[in-house]
Amino acid sequence: MFLLETRQLMKHFGGIMAVNEISLSIEKGEILGMIGPNGSGKSTFVNLLTGIYTPDKGQTIFKNQDITTLPVHRITEIGIARTFQNLRVFQNISVMTNILIGRHAQIHNSLWEVYLRPLSAWKREKAAREKALEFLELAHLTDRRDELAKNLPYGEQRLLEICRALASEPELLLLDEPCAGMNPVEMDTLAEFIQRIKASGTTIFIIEHNMRFIMAVAERIVVLNMGKKFKEGSPLEIQSDRGVQSIYLGEEEDV
Amino acid sequence: MPKISKKSAVKFNVISHLAVIAGLAVLPFIIENPYYLGITNLILIYTILCMGLNLILGYTGLLSLGHAAFYGLGGYATAILMTRYGFSFLPALIISGLLALIFGMLLGVPTRKVRGDYFCLLTIAFGEIFRLVAQAWIPFTGGAMGIVGIPIPRIFSWTIRSETDFYYLGLILVVFTYLSLVLLTASRFGRAFVAIREDELAASVMGINTPAYKILAFSIGSFYAGLAGSYLAVYQTTITPSSFRLDESCLMIIMVIVGGMGSLLAPISGVIIMTLATEAFRSLADYRMLIIGVIMVTVLLFRPQGLFGTAAFKD
Ligand SMILES: Nc1ncnc2c1ncn2[C@@H]1O[C@H](COP(=O)(O)OP(=O)(O)OP(=O)(O)O)[C@@H](O)[C@H]1O
Ligand SMILES: [Mg+2]
Repeated sequence: MFLLETRQLMKHFGGIMAVNEISLSIEKGEILGMIGPNGSGKSTFVNLLTGIYTPDKGQTIFKNQDITTLPVHRITEIGIARTFQNLRVFQNISVMTNILIGRHAQIHNSLWEVYLRPLSAWKREKAAREKALEFLELAHLTDRRDELAKNLPYGEQRLLEICRALASEPELLLLDEPCAGMNPVEMDTLAEFIQRIKASGTTIFIIEHNMRFIMAVAERIVVLNMGKKFKEGSPLEIQSDRGVQSIYLGEEEDV
Repeated sequence: MPKISKKSAVKFNVISHLAVIAGLAVLPFIIENPYYLGITNLILIYTILCMGLNLILGYTGLLSLGHAAFYGLGGYATAILMTRYGFSFLPALIISGLLALIFGMLLGVPTRKVRGDYFCLLTIAFGEIFRLVAQAWIPFTGGAMGIVGIPIPRIFSWTIRSETDFYYLGLILVVFTYLSLVLLTASRFGRAFVAIREDELAASVMGINTPAYKILAFSIGSFYAGLAGSYLAVYQTTITPSSFRLDESCLMIIMVIVGGMGSLLAPISGVIIMTLATEAFRSLADYRMLIIGVIMVTVLLFRPQGLFGTAAFKD
């Protein structure tokens, strides 16, 4: 059973076909990887899924619902969370508050309750804080809860961004190059973290440039090239595929 | 690092709060001199205005240069309701706040998706339109002469007449403003505002309906300006368009920036410094803005986040 499916999703910027008729499905419970050379349309694809861009053509189906034109915040509410390639934690805010903001859609206090029933609103806040601690615990960030996000080392900021996404209790988690800028030790921590997220029942979609990492973590991999789906298969199949090797080799020859 | 126990910290907190409350309650008996009490009342008015503006500017990151117009809306609403329609003060006060809130929404809806600099321009335009209407619609607003003879306000059996009475009325409004903002900013709404200020796109990805929350912050912040305007009307017993010019909006922004954005009480320090400075240099009318500007630049040179602020202007 697929959790999310795209049908001929297409997006161009001026003359550039950033995403060209990509159809793929993400199965419930799996870790799906996506690789491709720079500029092949991976981030644009995630931006289409999360409503940041509206596709020129095509459809996105999530849990049997057409979400193609839903606004960004609605897509989060129905269960898709994400991180950004260029890290977007709230820098000047504490780690704890970052998580609480991530939990926005799960805290159901209305304005009326905030003003007129402050006690019950406060109880929900307290529950949200306790829940937030659970997410921080997952990434071993509990001790850091009162620090400003910008004071965390880079690797921990990356983990925090994932925790913040998890705080909305998504069914599908989209990670755009989570390893970027990490050292090998941090990468191992991340790989272990991702396995724990999967074990909790969340479906994961990872874009990643680091081959060693993606081959170890993903169960299935989609390869993009110049906005098109180039290949799809198990890590072993992708690794040994001549075509895939050539698009990456081609890239290296260019450099 | 030695840690203060939680219990004694709470105790200290309670004691310091009680001390502040007691100090504020007896202040008129310490100041006595009605001129200085008048300045204190001015500080109370600007505190209400700047706490509201801080929600818009310091928390949500929206640069509104129309705050004086919402202040004026409240002032005119109270003046007209009390002089022409025989309203008593309390309902006039509430209607004034709500009117500012509604106008905040009306202005917020078309501007919810425009970029920050356009939003700023639109609030300037709104402020100017308000002032021109107040000046030109003579039968309704009294034109440049404004509205005079606003009745002495009464709340139940309390007649508010002396500077001391107005001090307590202002204090009640400040406390109301503060407590209601504490509730709001400690909730998911307050966090959403801060998230929008920090990174609007990331905020929307957190499930925050950013256009709606911007309208909310803007209209709630404007609500307090309406209350302040209502207070001004009964305090001065007259209301004229010249109290609500663009430089009044600028002064409030400077107060918030100097005091510090993004924490509830920080703007008060800016309010006190700037009100005292404007009073001290009242005789130098032409140079007043210059002196205010110098103070602001000096403070920001040494503390970009303002005296007690947590958020600085983004680079
Ligand atoms: N907002 C935009 N405006 C114009 N062009 C864009 C925009 N976003 C992406 N593009 C272009 O679309 C193409 C695909 O970009 P995208 O960021 O999706 O690639 P990517 O696969 O994520 O690359 P990388 O591995 O470098 O992150 C590129 O040619 C890029 O320049
Ligand atoms: Mg990318």
